[in-house]
Amino acid sequence: MDKVLLKGLNRWLGVFTLFFSAFFAFYAIPNWVYSPSNIRNIVLSPTFWPYILSGISALAGFALLITKQPPETDQDTAGSANAELRPYLRLIVMALIMGLTMYLLPRLGMVWTTMLTFVGTAFFFGTRYRIAAIVCAVLIPLILYAFFAQIAGVAIPQGNFVRLP
Amino acid sequence: MSFYDSILAGLSLVGNVDAFLSLFIGIVVGVIGGAIPGLSATMAVALTLPFTFPMQPINGILLLLGVYKGGIFGGSIPAILIKTPGTPASSATILDGYPLAEKGQAGKALGMALWASCTADVVSNLSLILFAGWLASFALNFGPPEFFALIFFSLTIIAGVSGDSLLRGTLSAVAGLILATVGLDLVYGTNRFTFGDSNLMGGLNFIAVLIGLFAIPEVIAMAWDPTSHLGKARSLGKSWVTFREYKDSFFSIIRGSIIGVILGSIPGIGAAPSAFLSYSEARRTSKNKGNFGKGEIEGVAAAEAGNNGVAGATLIPLLALGVPGDVITAIIIGAFMIHGLQPGPMMFIMNVDIIYGLFIGLIVSSVMLFAVGSVAIRAFRYVADVPKRILMPAVLVLCIYGVFAVNNNIFDVGVMFAMGWLGYVMLRTRIPAAPFLIAFILGPLLEDNFRQSMLMSGGDMAVFVRGPITWAFWSFSLIALFAIYKSVRAPKPS
Repeated sequence: MDKVLLKGLNRWLGVFTLFFSAFFAFYAIPNWVYSPSNIRNIVLSPTFWPYILSGISALAGFALLITKQPPETDQDTAGSANAELRPYLRLIVMALIMGLTMYLLPRLGMVWTTMLTFVGTAFFFGTRYRIAAIVCAVLIPLILYAFFAQIAGVAIPQGNFVRLP
Repeated sequence: MSFYDSILAGLSLVGNVDAFLSLFIGIVVGVIGGAIPGLSATMAVALTLPFTFPMQPINGILLLLGVYKGGIFGGSIPAILIKTPGTPASSATILDGYPLAEKGQAGKALGMALWASCTADVVSNLSLILFAGWLASFALNFGPPEFFALIFFSLTIIAGVSGDSLLRGTLSAVAGLILATVGLDLVYGTNRFTFGDSNLMGGLNFIAVLIGLFAIPEVIAMAWDPTSHLGKARSLGKSWVTFREYKDSFFSIIRGSIIGVILGSIPGIGAAPSAFLSYSEARRTSKNKGNFGKGEIEGVAAAEAGNNGVAGATLIPLLALGVPGDVITAIIIGAFMIHGLQPGPMMFIMNVDIIYGLFIGLIVSSVMLFAVGSVAIRAFRYVADVPKRILMPAVLVLCIYGVFAVNNNIFDVGVMFAMGWLGYVMLRTRIPAAPFLIAFILGPLLEDNFRQSMLMSGGDMAVFVRGPITWAFWSFSLIALFAIYKSVRAPKPS
């Protein structure tokens, strides 16, 4: 975690929470919560509870903003000095793996997709046990498929290409 | 139904190989899960949950309880051997466990951890059996206003005792409450934050949220730093715990168990504070107090008794009131719901066989934990050697199957990934995830009871102070809020 961000973390969280609270109260609730027009008692309205939560989050944000943050421990800031671009690129790759998994799940089927996800993730993490990773990548999705499809009766997505029994 | 009839009904449900096998497998999985740093008992319970779908409800819940109990003990193994607690509850065990391991007495420390854990487990289970029924019969008098006051109290405690920063814990709980509003309105059935998507009308899937919050951030954290290693396990040494050492620590173990029972039965406090309180009490009263922190076996006993004493007691509010005692019981409450069971006072009337079946299973679990733990101590070397860069992809695949299996819906997998990234941001910004999850579960109950009370009273707020029960819960809530305020205002030690 970047030292600068950690140092003013409560303040950042407070500002974000206040903005979120304002957005929630003035835009999200009026536009995305539907309330019947004939409700006589305001506390029974579907919007009442979200407005209460919006108020509580504003209070929490304000409290975060004004509260003095305790100093972070050495453990909190350990490793932050050499935080560079590469870890963030790795996060982007991880997000891409997850996005690709979502894209392929209905097309390739769960078994084949998760095999690719397993291999992709293990190799991305830089495993030294490549053969073991490939064996696990094949066996684990197959075992899980056997359990969920054959024992639990779950309709595991099969995809458009190779179908399993 | 008399007490004996209830026991017989419970026996008829669990008196078979399947039930005890489920419990046994659960304990094995829990000990392994707890013993692998980075996996934790919470993640082990969350990942096991989907496997209970095809099982009988009692067997599925026994499996999860086994994982819970095994996980809490399992966390002490890496705490003693590699100074890395497998679960937060084992943090206090490091204080004397690791110095003992450095002296070549890891076997002794682990042996005492096992003895203390099993003793505390028995005490905790007995307290559950004694108090849960009594509390449930009391809770039968509760109406919506009383439940609203109770859940409000639970939320104040949960938000107040989570992590290093109470305010961030509160923020986490509020975020959980907000996310719980997604779906159809409870009274009028109108859309709230559904964006016209039918997948969102039933609200966000609880399993997807919990697995996303607790398992996926660990996978993402691995992407951030794939070179994080487990550390080197120490040898067990030749010295083992003796009966005399157990006898000398017995008073600390019982005291720690009682502390665990008391703190565990209050929703939201959890095992870690109990372990530290038990440890500090043992240090304060011990004749070897100068040796604490340098490798005192009584310190290991007290810490382990404190955290295991919580395991049965957290089920008291879960079974009697339908309120989870900690984050793991919050997951277990999900298992009850998936199997069509609603924990709470009515369960002691409608499903008395399941309640007593669980009691019997829990008593047996202490014996099983002792047997499994004895083997696990020697086998930890192999568990610690599982390469994390293969383990985490396996966790990811397991999560995908588990979350999909709940509703046969790929959308839930997307929710899990989204929650995983939220959980990772929370991890990096030191916002605890546990209050989020518990608030996510309690949120709809809170709102539902609030609006039912309003419907009952025709909008008169006086219904929330209609009797001594509501007054008691409001008083507890005020005390909790005051304690939160005091701790926020108090200067923190540098």
